[in-house]
Amino acid sequence: MHQFARTATAVAAATLALASTAALAQDIVQKDSAWYTDAQARIQEMMARQPNTNKAKNVILFIADGNGVGTNYATRLFEGQKMGKLGEEHVLSYESFPNLALVKTYNINAQTPDSAPTGGAMNTGVKQVFNTINLNENAIHEDCASENGNKLTTFSEMVSEAGKAVGIVSTARITHATPAAVYAKTANRNWEGEAPDGCVDIATQLIDAMKAGTVDLAMGGGARYFAPEDAGTMDGGKGSRPDGRDLIKEAQDAGFQYAYDTGSAERLNLDGTTPILALFEGSHMKYEHDRSDEDEPSLADMTKMAIEQLSKNEDGYYLEVEAGRIDHASHDGNLYRTVTDGVAFAEAVALADELTDDGDTLIIVTADHEHAIAFNGYCGRGSPITGLCYDVAKGQVKHSDEPLTGSDGKPYTVAGFLNGAGAVLTEQADGAYFGTRPVVTEEGATDPDYLQQALIPMSSETHSGEDVAVYAKGPWAHLFDGTIEQNYIFHVMNYAVSAE
Amino acid sequence: MDRRLFLAGLASIAVPSAVAAAEVVRLRDLYNKDLSFSDLATTMEGELITVSGFMAPPLKAESRFFVLTTRPMAVCPFCESEAEWPNDILAVYTKRLLKVVPFNVPLLARGKLELGAVKDEETGFVSRVRIVDATYERG
Repeated sequence: MHQFARTATAVAAATLALASTAALAQDIVQKDSAWYTDAQARIQEMMARQPNTNKAKNVILFIADGNGVGTNYATRLFEGQKMGKLGEEHVLSYESFPNLALVKTYNINAQTPDSAPTGGAMNTGVKQVFNTINLNENAIHEDCASENGNKLTTFSEMVSEAGKAVGIVSTARITHATPAAVYAKTANRNWEGEAPDGCVDIATQLIDAMKAGTVDLAMGGGARYFAPEDAGTMDGGKGSRPDGRDLIKEAQDAGFQYAYDTGSAERLNLDGTTPILALFEGSHMKYEHDRSDEDEPSLADMTKMAIEQLSKNEDGYYLEVEAGRIDHASHDGNLYRTVTDGVAFAEAVALADELTDDGDTLIIVTADHEHAIAFNGYCGRGSPITGLCYDVAKGQVKHSDEPLTGSDGKPYTVAGFLNGAGAVLTEQADGAYFGTRPVVTEEGATDPDYLQQALIPMSSETHSGEDVAVYAKGPWAHLFDGTIEQNYIFHVMNYAVSAE
Repeated sequence: MDRRLFLAGLASIAVPSAVAAAEVVRLRDLYNKDLSFSDLATTMEGELITVSGFMAPPLKAESRFFVLTTRPMAVCPFCESEAEWPNDILAVYTKRLLKVVPFNVPLLARGKLELGAVKDEETGFVSRVRIVDATYERG
């Protein structure tokens, strides 16, 4: 008690000191440095913080697929450098959110997770089995019979029962693992358009969920799994359903609105009365770098439409928004598209924050897993994050013009991957793998199509088990702190919507 | 202005300095963002061009045909549940029987540019843009 009182007094004294003119710092020579005063301002901001214990009317769960702490660091520097800053000092939209935790992403049976059980963990509150979605620990991957009796209850089922509207937005196929985690239960994440007898494919599960009223809005790619094999779809692609069902027509017959490009999306009625299915591509939507506004909407555009539609529901909504292709670009070893899709994600979060009220909307921003990305040193400030690592310059903040070199005498990039298509070991005529590091130039490395150098040769770069962060604001966001298990995210959402 | 110099100028946006290299066309320069053919592509139709890219794993052994991709054709089991071609590809019909180059080794392919959809008899592969009578080397 005595010690508590002393601490309380000290805190009060510190508050007083800071509130006046930083009296305790008066003899410190660095007290006028911006580093010093910025940090002091941060102290004040932290002390002024009050927990938000309102009941959450709305919950928005933003998931940047494959955007672990390292990948997110690359996006932070890229966006900052794009804005003309050195980059390191930059803050992404959600990085200014008040609450943060580190997230352990492993699956029940996998040290390195995949997006199916990780998305499922966030949507059900329990960890799941590698490559399965929303089944309990008894599920066996690809074993249809193992779905029986092992299906879990999803957050979308719980909140729609409580009167909330549910929406899903993704730049990947809407049947892909992360969006599917909102509504599907399956022993194989790849059963997107067909499943063995006794099991239901993921596209059909979405339409069933929309008919049942547990999903009210779904926007993304993946039209092919909703149309009969070889039938043309309105996005210009072809269907691939072997059972010949036309789920798009079934959705329209059920009275749902359908959009397939920017023009038809702009014509959607967003008054909240009619469910929406929007499939903008046969497969995944385009990378932000390759996308044109006339053809398909951005992640921010879709997020805006979703909020406009769902917010008409007086009992509120649950919206999951996925930037699905940050992950794909890293699988390709192409950091440029990873970070440009990362910037598009940050823009979508910023817009959602603008369109909602912290008083009643819990916004959670996280990733499902990290990738095998790594960063070299010792680069000077402002070294381009997709480009070369330049030496620290004496007597100035910005890096020198001298690229650092390895013992092989060749420059190297700031970022690289541990494995993947950018491997410096390539297959030789005799089948053996051998190689030396190709020479890399600044122009080559910053080209949008460049693949960062990697070590282990693989046709596709892998995920990693490293932590991701979760950022949050709004009701009960302060329940995020420390290092958490990924399934805990569900529990914060559930507590926030249930709080009295 | 000499036509060759004009084209070199267009291509050099994406290509390093050397004079020979300045004639190299990037695959992406043949397409606009909406995947229609670029002005560069229509201007060079019927001409001999050199394109940089990567050899996708061939569809068939003992072939004279391969697909040139902008970036190495990574096969990602978590991204795709079936074989998937990128939108911006170039079909290459070679002069000689194909010698396979690993999917992630940069190539320069040279041949006569053809535009318009054509279905390959042997593989059923439909290409929108091709180079024919082509040769290739490591880039």
